[in-house]
Amino acid sequence: MRQVLQKYFRCTWTSIAALAAAALLVASAGIATAQERSRLDEVLQRGTLIVVTLGTVPPFAFKDEKGELVGFDIDVARLAANALFRDPSKIEFVIVTSDGRWPAIESGRADMGVGGTTVYPDRAIRVAFTRAFIDSGISIMVAKSSGIKSLEDLNQEKYTVANLNNPQMADRAAAIFPKAKIITFDTPSGEFLAVKSGRAHALQIDTPTADYFAASSAKDFEVLPTLLTASQNNGIYLKPGDFKWWLWLDTFVSELRTGSLYPKYTELYQKWFKKDAPPQKFYLPPR
Amino acid sequence: MGQYRAWVEAYGVAFLEAAGWTLAVAVASFICALIWGALLFFARLRGGIWTDRIVDGYVQLLRNIPVLLPIYLIYFGFPLAGLLWPAAICGGIALVLQNGAYISEIFRGAYKAIDRVQPDAARSLGLLPWMAFRKVTLPQILVHSIPALGNQAVLLLKDTSLLSAITVVELTMQAKVLTERTGAAYAPFVVAAIFYLAMVSVIELLARTAHRSVRWK
Repeated sequence: MRQVLQKYFRCTWTSIAALAAAALLVASAGIATAQERSRLDEVLQRGTLIVVTLGTVPPFAFKDEKGELVGFDIDVARLAANALFRDPSKIEFVIVTSDGRWPAIESGRADMGVGGTTVYPDRAIRVAFTRAFIDSGISIMVAKSSGIKSLEDLNQEKYTVANLNNPQMADRAAAIFPKAKIITFDTPSGEFLAVKSGRAHALQIDTPTADYFAASSAKDFEVLPTLLTASQNNGIYLKPGDFKWWLWLDTFVSELRTGSLYPKYTELYQKWFKKDAPPQKFYLPPR
Repeated sequence: MGQYRAWVEAYGVAFLEAAGWTLAVAVASFICALIWGALLFFARLRGGIWTDRIVDGYVQLLRNIPVLLPIYLIYFGFPLAGLLWPAAICGGIALVLQNGAYISEIFRGAYKAIDRVQPDAARSLGLLPWMAFRKVTLPQILVHSIPALGNQAVLLLKDTSLLSAITVVELTMQAKVLTERTGAAYAPFVVAAIFYLAMVSVIELLARTAHRSVRWK
């Protein structure tokens, strides 16, 4: 027995030590890179922009029939590359799942991230965001067979709602339909499968994504007319602590949304959402 | 350190709950997989050529597909047949189906390792075939199986992380939810890893103690 215990503890301590060493390495790498020069200089010197994004959130960032990465947010990233290098093709995309975004930024694998990513105060402690470049809104899609017509209908114990594993959806569900049962997926495709298979009666999803899927499978799904929130800010995210790089990206977003790049913005808005972009300034009439 | 304390206060309970789910699914699935594996093994031992072929086909099929496929098929497929079972049960069934296949092969391997003359020797001592199996063959099968069963339990425990794909909030899903809320890239996954490591260590300790206590008897 004693021998067994000794051997057991030897093995366990070795693996704990290995884990601790790995954690230390990661932590020290974080400290070391924070002291280096700005990412902006690095990007300019490299000559390409590395962008982490999602591949499964139409119409923001998704693969089209030809398997190419397209979408509104992808075009925004290309505009950024164009602003940096006068060439929208000087860009490299890293496609991850939703919880792979933070390590990709933290480790420096990518210069910036974009793609259906919502600014949230909890997140902003460890990730830097630019101002929002789009208000994506949130909609509820319901199975047509469920008979749910409004948010008030949904707030009943007999209904199940599929969420993504992000904080916005969990907090909204708790505030707006606390009685409904919530199940949580790590991909939008899981949410849709859940409603299609009858596991859930409804799902939460960004409004443009809801509209996109509703258009392609109108016989199964319906988008509830009442929006859950009037506004959901989606921004570009980056590693915090690099003022020069953040300032460039935030200036780019400001120009895109309200300044010299606004004509491009309206063009992309029409292309992907088939709608007019919000006005350039609140005191200017919409174009 | 204040930050760590705030984290433990805010998310500690959620992590413990998640660890509870991981452990509950793993333990229940392993017990069921042991029973299912034993049934498959006996069916092959006692049944005719057709039983042997059918069980062999099942074992080959389940061993050679990623367990995520049966997990998805059962979770998303059963509701189409009107069976709305909870996610943890659906995932557990998939784990039992695959691990039962592995475990039946572990038992078969242990059985093959026993010298063929032993049952004959037992018969010559006057034991009935059934008693010869119970008193001579079966104990040796169990002793030979213990190390491999311990390994299988470890594999099963780690495979419970796949249940995060079907809404079971076990350790991996909890880490994913937490990293999404806080934007913390590594810490939630390191905490999950420590929990897994602790559980695996206990399994290994149990398997070693069990094997040691029966090895030379």
